[in-house]
Amino acid sequence: VINELIPGLGIVKGMALTLRRFFEPKVTVMYPEVRVDVSPKFRGRLQLLYDEYGTLKCETCFQCAQACPIECIDMGGMDTRGRFHVHWGAPETYGERREESALRRSGRPVPDPAYRPFQAVDLAKVEAILETYDHDPAHLLAILEETQAAYGYLPVAALKRISQLTGTWYAMIYGTASYYSHLRFEPAEAADQAAAMAAHRPAETAYLAALGTALGGGTAQRADA
Amino acid sequence: MTVIGRSWSRLTLPGKVIFTVVPVLLASLIALVAVVAILGPTIVDILANNLPIVRFVVAVTVVLLMTVPTAFLIIYMEMKVIALMNLRIGPDRVGPFGSLLSVVHGIKVLMKEDFTPTGADPIVFTWAPVVVYLASVMSLLVIPFAPGLFGQDLNLGLLYFFAIGGLSVVGLLMAGWSSYNKYSLLGGLRSAAQVVSYEIPLTLSVVGIILLAGTMSLNQIVLDQGGWFTDWYLFRQPLGFLIFFIAATAEANRTPFDLTEADSEIVAGFATEYSGMRFGFFFFAEYVNVFIISALTVTLFLGGWNAPFPWPWPVTVNLDPANLGVVLLLLVAIVPLVLTLVFAVPFWLASSRIKGWQALIGGFVLANIFIVAVIGAWAYIGLDWVAGIVWFLGKTYVLVFTFVWMRGTLPRVRIDQLMDFAWKWLLPAALLNLFVTATAIVVVGK
Repeated sequence: VINELIPGLGIVKGMALTLRRFFEPKVTVMYPEVRVDVSPKFRGRLQLLYDEYGTLKCETCFQCAQACPIECIDMGGMDTRGRFHVHWGAPETYGERREESALRRSGRPVPDPAYRPFQAVDLAKVEAILETYDHDPAHLLAILEETQAAYGYLPVAALKRISQLTGTWYAMIYGTASYYSHLRFEPAEAADQAAAMAAHRPAETAYLAALGTALGGGTAQRADA
Repeated sequence: MTVIGRSWSRLTLPGKVIFTVVPVLLASLIALVAVVAILGPTIVDILANNLPIVRFVVAVTVVLLMTVPTAFLIIYMEMKVIALMNLRIGPDRVGPFGSLLSVVHGIKVLMKEDFTPTGADPIVFTWAPVVVYLASVMSLLVIPFAPGLFGQDLNLGLLYFFAIGGLSVVGLLMAGWSSYNKYSLLGGLRSAAQVVSYEIPLTLSVVGIILLAGTMSLNQIVLDQGGWFTDWYLFRQPLGFLIFFIAATAEANRTPFDLTEADSEIVAGFATEYSGMRFGFFFFAEYVNVFIISALTVTLFLGGWNAPFPWPWPVTVNLDPANLGVVLLLLVAIVPLVLTLVFAVPFWLASSRIKGWQALIGGFVLANIFIVAVIGAWAYIGLDWVAGIVWFLGKTYVLVFTFVWMRGTLPRVRIDQLMDFAWKWLLPAALLNLFVTATAIVVVGK
């Protein structure tokens, strides 16, 4: 109240702020000469992007797969005879992409069934969880589990909030969340739906089962399931 | 072919150039010396008899030449200071710390097309920037930079300053009207409205000083503020200083009152149709105005070229280099050499890894710094105009920094807020200041 009574105090405060900034260290990075020290593993966030029509922007150019140092990126699918191929070729030669390729070349928007617009979530819940863990990233797994319990899945907005409040790299949180198979990034219904769709493709299921056996683990999961 | 022709054809191109240029230069040098020797006394006589005219011509020339580096310096300062306040680095590519970037800007402006729109009045369009620029430059003539260092000590200096400074409105209106563009015209009228509105509190706020000093001569006003810094008019006219500073900000079209050329909102106001160096003149005039307004504030309120307090241990140096004769020559020849060697010794002794030539370079640099410092100190003590100009420019640039600082901080006001503030607040406050000052002078005396 007193602050509002003194005329010009806001001006003085603002001037003091800029004068403090004048002496503070500068944030500019002289880019070509100076490079920011980022983790050598950092490749940005792995995410498939959609345009404003909901069309997947990925052109299957394989540049990301070629650049991936640990060869974790792959693009594959079933051809029209139910055989699995890795797509090292034009996308329109593969059955499940043929219609999409035709659409894409016609210039019309290509709908993608997996497209979900970014949905803002109520961040109060995740903030309360972080409060109980004292914003300590050492308890990341517990935080993520409670977040999943609160939202039913791990929304991107919640993960970003965790990253902001704990000061941990988003990549670390995303890596932790994607490492554990009981953590999921979509609501349980969506995962069920994907599994139901997969049941209509018997050859793929058989292939994945065989792959899982060959790799010595359990049943292999589709990445989007 | 004659012998001369044959010899000429045997010369290379540089040879031909040298053979023609050197004799011409020699001849003109001899002619110059002869003219000076024969006509010198007469010329000196004529100049001495017309000293006021000579003084005026020299002052105008110096002031005109001075404005260009001043504008460069302030433009660079603005870029750098605002960048630092935004946590950026700012210009850093051209010259040391990017200090030559404003020179590059000047060259860029010179190289751009100088365009006159169809339908514009070419004469008025061309003269408008000249009027604006000259109005700025001419008002510098009465500002005392140091004891005895001023263009003219007019006894109506302050009035002259405001009169000439007010001429820039004419230039702005000329620019707006002659552009044959309704937006330019609107911008010109808007600028004129602002500048004319703020002219009134600006002028009224200094009437208190005129009453106190009893003169309008800027030199006399500065002399009145000698002694301790408590004698500055800032402490006798605090309200006047505040009004003057705010009104001067508006008068110089600086943030938060830079509506005439609100570069983030409107195209450029009155300067919409301008390009090339004619736009450059408006741009330069703006920054010269910042310097002038700061200089006038320093002159009126902050003691001008007076030091804030008299030096408690007065030193007098009775050293006239002209009396030294041959010793001066010896000093000039020997002292740098000796000092270089003396300053090289510590480098030489400091580490065995420092080679002799490296120590000599270090000694040379240190000796130069030392010599410059000694000569500077001698000039400061021995020549009062050097001390005066140091203080004057120091104070002025502190104020320039304040203007830049304000631009880095304050948001722009709306046009109605601007007008409200001038007429409803500044003008009554200036009148109040005037009446209080007058009453105090009558009741208490000066």
